[in-house]
Amino acid sequence: MKSEFDFLKAIPPEPGNLIKGLQLLQATEDYISDEGIRAAAEYFNRPEADVEGVVSFYAQFKRVKPGKYRISVCDGTACHLKGAVQVHEWLYQDLKLKPGETSADGMFSLETVACLGCCSLAPVMSVNGKVFGKLERKTMMKILKEFAEK
Amino acid sequence: MSKIISLKIGLASCGVAAGGEAVLAELKKWTQLPVTEVGCIGHCYAEPLVEACLDDGSSVMYGNVKPTEACVKNILALGEEGRFVIPAARRAKELVKVLALAGHISPVVLKEYTDHEGYAGLRKALSMKPEEVIDEVKLSGLRGRGGGGFPTGNKWSFLAAKPGFDKTVICNADEGDPGAFMDRSLMESVPHQVLEGMLIAAYATGASRLIIYCRAEYPMAIKHLKIAIGQIYEEKLNVLNGRAVEISIKEGAGAFVCGEETALIASLEGQRGMPRFRPPFPTDRGYQDKPTMINNVETFGNVPLILREGGAKFAEVGSAGGRGTKLFALAGDLKYPGLVEVPMGTTLREIVFEIGGAAPDRVKAVQTGGPSGGCIPVELFDTPVDYDSLRSLGAIMGSGGMIVIGQDRCMVETARYFLDFTHRESCGKCTFCRIGTTRMFEILERIVAGKGTEADLDTLEDLGKKVKAGSLCGLGQTAPNPVLATLRYYRNEYLEHVREHKCRAMQCSAMVDLTLDRDKCVKCRLCIRSCPVGAISADFVIDPAVCTRCNSCLDSCPKHAIRRIATGEKK
Amino acid sequence: MSIEFLIDGKAVTAEPGQTVMDAAKAHGIHIPGLCGEPRISKTTSCFVCVVRDKKTGKFLPSCSARPAPGQEIEVNHPDVLAMRRTALNLLLSEHNGDCEAPCTLACPAHAAVEEYVRAAAHGDFAKALGIIKERIPLPMTIGRVCPRFCEKQCRRNVDGEPVAINEFKRLSADMCYDSYMEELPPASGKRAAIVGGGPAGLSAAYYLRRLGIESTIFEMMPKAGGMTRYGIPEYRMPKALLDRELAHWDKIGVKFEYNRKLGETLTLDELRRAFDAVIVAVGCWQASGMRCEGEELAVSGIGFLRNVIENDCRADNPGRVLVVGGGNTAMDCVRTSVRLGASEVTCIYRRSEAEMPAEKLEIREAREEGVKFQFLTAPVKLERRDGQLVLTCQKMVLGEPDASGRRKPVPEPGSDFEIAADTVIAAIGQKTIPPSDIPVTRHGTVAVGTDGVTVAGNIYAAGDCVSGAATVVEAVASGRRAALAAARDLLGQPMPEEVPVNVTRGKWQDLSRDELVVLRSDLSEAPRQKLSYLPLAERKTTFKEVCATMTPEQIAAEGRRCIECSCSDKHDCKLRKFAAEAGCKVDAYPGVKQPPVYDVRHPEIIQDRGKCIKCGVCVKICKEVVNRSLLSLQKRGFKSCVSTAFGTAFPDSCRECGECINACPTGALDWRKKR
Repeated sequence: MKSEFDFLKAIPPEPGNLIKGLQLLQATEDYISDEGIRAAAEYFNRPEADVEGVVSFYAQFKRVKPGKYRISVCDGTACHLKGAVQVHEWLYQDLKLKPGETSADGMFSLETVACLGCCSLAPVMSVNGKVFGKLERKTMMKILKEFAEK
Repeated sequence: MSKIISLKIGLASCGVAAGGEAVLAELKKWTQLPVTEVGCIGHCYAEPLVEACLDDGSSVMYGNVKPTEACVKNILALGEEGRFVIPAARRAKELVKVLALAGHISPVVLKEYTDHEGYAGLRKALSMKPEEVIDEVKLSGLRGRGGGGFPTGNKWSFLAAKPGFDKTVICNADEGDPGAFMDRSLMESVPHQVLEGMLIAAYATGASRLIIYCRAEYPMAIKHLKIAIGQIYEEKLNVLNGRAVEISIKEGAGAFVCGEETALIASLEGQRGMPRFRPPFPTDRGYQDKPTMINNVETFGNVPLILREGGAKFAEVGSAGGRGTKLFALAGDLKYPGLVEVPMGTTLREIVFEIGGAAPDRVKAVQTGGPSGGCIPVELFDTPVDYDSLRSLGAIMGSGGMIVIGQDRCMVETARYFLDFTHRESCGKCTFCRIGTTRMFEILERIVAGKGTEADLDTLEDLGKKVKAGSLCGLGQTAPNPVLATLRYYRNEYLEHVREHKCRAMQCSAMVDLTLDRDKCVKCRLCIRSCPVGAISADFVIDPAVCTRCNSCLDSCPKHAIRRIATGEKK
Repeated sequence: MSIEFLIDGKAVTAEPGQTVMDAAKAHGIHIPGLCGEPRISKTTSCFVCVVRDKKTGKFLPSCSARPAPGQEIEVNHPDVLAMRRTALNLLLSEHNGDCEAPCTLACPAHAAVEEYVRAAAHGDFAKALGIIKERIPLPMTIGRVCPRFCEKQCRRNVDGEPVAINEFKRLSADMCYDSYMEELPPASGKRAAIVGGGPAGLSAAYYLRRLGIESTIFEMMPKAGGMTRYGIPEYRMPKALLDRELAHWDKIGVKFEYNRKLGETLTLDELRRAFDAVIVAVGCWQASGMRCEGEELAVSGIGFLRNVIENDCRADNPGRVLVVGGGNTAMDCVRTSVRLGASEVTCIYRRSEAEMPAEKLEIREAREEGVKFQFLTAPVKLERRDGQLVLTCQKMVLGEPDASGRRKPVPEPGSDFEIAADTVIAAIGQKTIPPSDIPVTRHGTVAVGTDGVTVAGNIYAAGDCVSGAATVVEAVASGRRAALAAARDLLGQPMPEEVPVNVTRGKWQDLSRDELVVLRSDLSEAPRQKLSYLPLAERKTTFKEVCATMTPEQIAAEGRRCIECSCSDKHDCKLRKFAAEAGCKVDAYPGVKQPPVYDVRHPEIIQDRGKCIKCGVCVKICKEVVNRSLLSLQKRGFKSCVSTAFGTAFPDSCRECGECINACPTGALDWRKKR
């Protein structure tokens, strides 16, 4: 295993700890690279194909490097009813971002998530884990502008 | 006059999302009084919520608090403005038992929990024989709150019957239903209550491993649980009459299907979360091939109550179709969305109209059980909410998500939305689920695009029944429910879509035009500016060939002069 | 302790640990399943093996469910069969591949084109001929005169010319015909009478014999061959070759009675009494007229051709010739006229060249030989004036498309003009003269049942008399079906589906070059081999065959141009087999298919993901049996797929054991080299 992945050693190398390891990998690297998969396979003693199969199964794991700020737009039932489609439309108009994409400057990446659990504040998005509710176009763009200027 | 001695602020995820942290910062600027960060009292529509506790033991609550000096000073002066009172109708119908402490105590201070009878249930259990504990749970009539409704006591006894202590109890906290947040709220607000229930289960069943499988999207729940587990170890609460049990948290990685027992176990073992054929059941061969039992968060949250007040007393609440109370996450088209707790058997009418404050003439249906459930039309709202009544209507209790669907929602589109979710969450193992749900989704896409046929409706019905019958796990077995239920109760809407290419709710954009009412228009040009595709001419005519029906103009119009009409309808 | 339970009411026992499927198999009860493999842990994926517990009404995957004592399991209940069919239909709905190649599907006889092309390209002409004769009993003839339905659907059309498929038949037949002899089953004692010795009748007799039924052909003409003898000119189909081809019927013992015409020297009733079955294949021998004043002054196209043929290509110089019509018969007439020394030959057709039903090649060759064409021209009146014929014509314009999809010609008022000629030939079309006592359709053809050949009782009909004037290959296909139907009724042999269950990636017209699936490693990009023609002067003056048979070298080169579109697993594919058993329809659930992703980076093994059913058997075999774990299931739901790590080619650690290939129920994993 390459030394840059030594942080995995914080987790006992049992095959069953693979997902935990991958979560740590993603938390450290922001995404899961091929090298990361090779390292996890070696460390947890699992075939590489197997590890890739696990990574690709779970929505949490990203195989592409995300933007500096990760926008997650909730498309849970309540948010859908309250205009999640609209939120995507605004994001597309103002940032030219579609779900699964990262902006050219690497600033923002966009994904759709199933439910952030804040249905009563719909529509909701989160930026790097921070949740914003009752979105309107102006407030949303203000929030994103603030992030961009940080 | 009473004096404020301390303050509480709701900082569960919903409170944070509503801006609670800024309010907290503002509060701290203006007062030295102790401020406790508490969980969620369930009134999400009023977040951020601040409670001012008075020296006479009473308290005053403030809702929709803004992070401003004026707002905060008003609270500190116990001003009349912005006071929050639980609506009387809700107060009358609600029965807060499981949520009694949520939003009132600090989730991360063990003493606050033990001061309120916390761990009394565990102490009581440890004074009994394990089988007596199970009998008490059986007596309570508690059924699994995760959706299936399997009698909890029976499940426990299956695991208890296995010899030895090499057994696992898992708390399913992978609340995957979009629209459900009961479990999150419980874990964030009263993590010890859930853990106490698990420890009681470990004692009763002889398990020595407790695992909480929590979705990673709930970082605050995980944080609070971790703190609580640390406190448990510190106080040796995990030593059950001399037998130490191990408690751990594993984070899910985002797969709805992992709510299914065998998929959850596969995921815990570091595999793809794909269910397998049962038998063998997890109680025979589960986590690491050892006997395993899985209950959901809310189920565990009920257990301390049962032990504290006794199974018989617990069973006094509720109806034949389910004992005790049930949490529901109310959302959608209503006035008071949030978390509610009511006795089993409360009618939908009471929940939706009286507690939720929905306008009776604006409600079309309610969707229970999230994407696995079905809709129940307003005409059937006198149905008592319990496991069996809902199933007889083609819906399910599910974990307790309850989405109110307004009159202006299209039921075909609603079904399409749910199928969009489930077909993407299918693990891909079973043919019926993997391809069947995809084909059903495609048919629904065709129908909302105005390209459906009547034969499509028959195919949906036939395929839906077969997908239910031909899938290994709950995901596939329930995925067609939203379609079959809407076909059952709102077939006329489907028929309008396929025969007349009409969407009465004006939601399906393929069958809708936007039109501008010149009498209302004040020529402010906001619509022209907001249109992303330039479909509105300088003299305010919307070109249907260019318009994408995105509603930007409609939303921007200050005079509500723009509306959606059926394609071809006279303007 | 064994467990006693019921399968479809029959008492069976299962040993402990056995699944319902195991127990059923032990008792000789067939339950199809795609995803089971005894050496690996259960996959329980396909649900094709679904059965029902009668008491609970629950459907169970029999590969995994273990029987309970006294359980009543339903395997063949209609509801269970419907579930199974739906499971298979769903799998077919996402299947992205070609069971059969488009050439085979396009061929009316569904000949195994890819296989005979490969055999002939490898120089095994006897094997190629054997494959051809499975469906085409007249390869020498069809190898020369066929309009090549197959080539029109060849995927090489996407960016070039089709493989010269028909030349493979021609060379294989020319090389091996005389020594070719199939193994025949013993005669069953059943006997059939066939009325008409044209291609349909000959085909029926041939396949009847291969099915064990002897026959006698009653032919109205002095020789057999029908229109292939009396309609197709010598320069396209030398009669010496036809005689060689027909000698085979003598070899297999078919009896011929010549100069026996139904309604004149023969009745249906007497045949019915004397034989176990009668197959009517009387063809289309009645020429249609021009439907204009003076039409009786014209000679018919088939009459003209027949006269030349019967006189060994000797006939009077027809002078200035006008041929009315745009089909292949019209082309035969103009080119025959050229060869008879006509001073001027003109073809008159009422639509434009694009609508001409004649083969493009025929039109081109006719032009080369000096034939003139007058399109958008229709005859109005034919009269004899001053010792010559004068055809009055009018100009046409194309209007709205008619029932055939072609634009209907409409007369242009006041556009009449005259053309003088010595001979006017009406090659408009042919009709059948159906025997009396036989039901006819409103088009005047023989009426048949849904199988396309059964008239009533043990009377069948085949060829042009059923279809209207058509091609030789369509006639032989029809004759074969009549033989199969007779064998079904006389011998109780099941009549196979023409093409059982067939998934296709679509027609080349809808595909781009990038979308073609090329699994062979040695595909040639050379242009189509050129035919070697006689010098034009010789073509115009003699009836010698216009072009020569391709050489074995040319055929070998041409064979390398074949993409080999069909599935390598088409004969072993369990999905196809069970789908056919269950009566599946490939288009029952239209929708998005799997992406046609295929991997040929490994020299020996191909991975064709479009055909994967995601059962994961290969993954488990490689992990649990081979102990390599080179494959895994990736992604989830409809998008799930089987892949190596990082989607690389099979790595070096693959020892090419073939376990995954053997376990794969479809052609998703297979050896690259086709057998």
